[in-house]
Amino acid sequence: MASAGGIRGFYREKKKGGVTKPSPKPYSTADPACSPVLKSAHVQGQEKEAEERLREFDMDMRYGPCLGLTRTERWNRAAVMGLNPSPDVEAILLKCSSSAALECLWEGRV
Amino acid sequence: MEDAEMGDGSPKHFDRKQAVYQNLDERYVIHGERYRGQQYSQIYFTRLHHMRNLLNSLVPKWKPHLPVHTILGLEEGKECIIIGTMYKHMKLKSSILDEYSKERSTVPLVKPHNFMHPDDHLILEDESGRVKLAGTFLAPSVYVTGIVVALHGKETSDGDFFVQDVLEAGLPPQIEQPLDLREDKHVVFISGLSVGSSMFNPLQFQLLVDHITGHLGDENEQSIASQIVRVVIAGNSVQISQGILSGQTLAPKDQSRLTEPIKEFDISLIQLAAAMPVDIMPGPSDPANFSLPQQPLHRCLFPGASVYNTFLSCTNPHQFELDDVLFLGTSGQNIDDLSKYSDAKDKLEFMERTLKWRHLAPTAPNTLGCYPYTDKDPFLIESCPHVYFVGNQDKYETRLLQGPEKQLLRLICIPRFCETGVAVVAY
Repeated sequence: MASAGGIRGFYREKKKGGVTKPSPKPYSTADPACSPVLKSAHVQGQEKEAEERLREFDMDMRYGPCLGLTRTERWNRAAVMGLNPSPDVEAILLKCSSSAALECLWEGRV
Repeated sequence: MEDAEMGDGSPKHFDRKQAVYQNLDERYVIHGERYRGQQYSQIYFTRLHHMRNLLNSLVPKWKPHLPVHTILGLEEGKECIIIGTMYKHMKLKSSILDEYSKERSTVPLVKPHNFMHPDDHLILEDESGRVKLAGTFLAPSVYVTGIVVALHGKETSDGDFFVQDVLEAGLPPQIEQPLDLREDKHVVFISGLSVGSSMFNPLQFQLLVDHITGHLGDENEQSIASQIVRVVIAGNSVQISQGILSGQTLAPKDQSRLTEPIKEFDISLIQLAAAMPVDIMPGPSDPANFSLPQQPLHRCLFPGASVYNTFLSCTNPHQFELDDVLFLGTSGQNIDDLSKYSDAKDKLEFMERTLKWRHLAPTAPNTLGCYPYTDKDPFLIESCPHVYFVGNQDKYETRLLQGPEKQLLRLICIPRFCETGVAVVAY
């Protein structure tokens, strides 16, 4: 995934030898917001990718601060200002099912 | 509108002049805005974004050979241009944390009117970072927090930015007004009536109302009065004594003290509204919201005057067009706040600076209450007004300002009527 490296760096785990296991997506083990819903592995993988993409959008400084706005509002504002936000983020926002994904990363936590 | 002379002799009929009015307060009205607990970072972002686009278009004409960098992209010793929001670090600026950090006994009881100190320094900030500004080119006493400028300079070895030159946005473009010399039309500005305060003189105000409505004087006076097309009341029309506003339940006799000033004012407003169009703006002491932009005073406050269609309750700041002449003004909070945090030789200079920075109230939301907008900053001045007025000032001052692109505008400081008894008539 061509990411800017922001979020992945937070949750990277380093183990000094010992038992090696296939490294999962870095944030999945440390993320407290992951809800244990029974889904197929493929769907879960896709959702995590979408969530990561949305978090990158949140953290992107070009579109301004993310607190206080829903992601859709922030995307629309960026589009109106002529900042050319990427259309795949909009696509994810339009078809996402959970309402938690519509709020920014820090909503309710800060 | 007719204004017949009351008196003996051959009655002369003066018709009051009319002017085409267009209210442009739409951008200051808060409707449909949902407050979701957002902070002020959004309004600063939109301000920086708009002003940066503007400055980016002006930089090539100013210094075309220098590159524009973000603050994190600064390289030591390399001359470049940076654009960002200015922040002024002030030692004496009162902070809420002082209550917790200092002993209560050492906090000075007398608050200074002006928070300036020789140790104040400026910092420039954009989304990537902030940098302290060094050098003697920029005088901290002139600038305040919240203005967006472009700076030419280079980074020094201790991480500061040494400023060599500054670019402000300058006066906005002005729509040229066709000079119509056929008729003389006047607009009256009043401010700081403070009905209900101890300084209010009802006779003086009644004299003013009579004069404006044409019930006073001989033919000469009345012909002058008939040329008045509008009255703008720029804030602080009523003053309710602080003792009753403490939030406790009021006894019935005190309740009448609360409403008396407004009722008294309404009676005078009826006389004014019956004669000519009146615009009323809220001010710091009026029963309106505290943060800028103040919303129009509610109609229920003026049961008598709001019946007239000539009565218009406006926002603060107020913008309108009269016969294609653009008027823009406030009730004084923006300029008063500037005078607390910076220095100038007179209030007109503060007004000139706000126009050059293209922002009506740069200290909002830092030290001036402001609504936390998320997608716009309504205080940005896009087109240069022909008349720029500020109410509730100490004395009457005016100046004609000329801009580099043939902009011509008049700056007016309207004094408080309760103190000076002066109303301003503009041609």
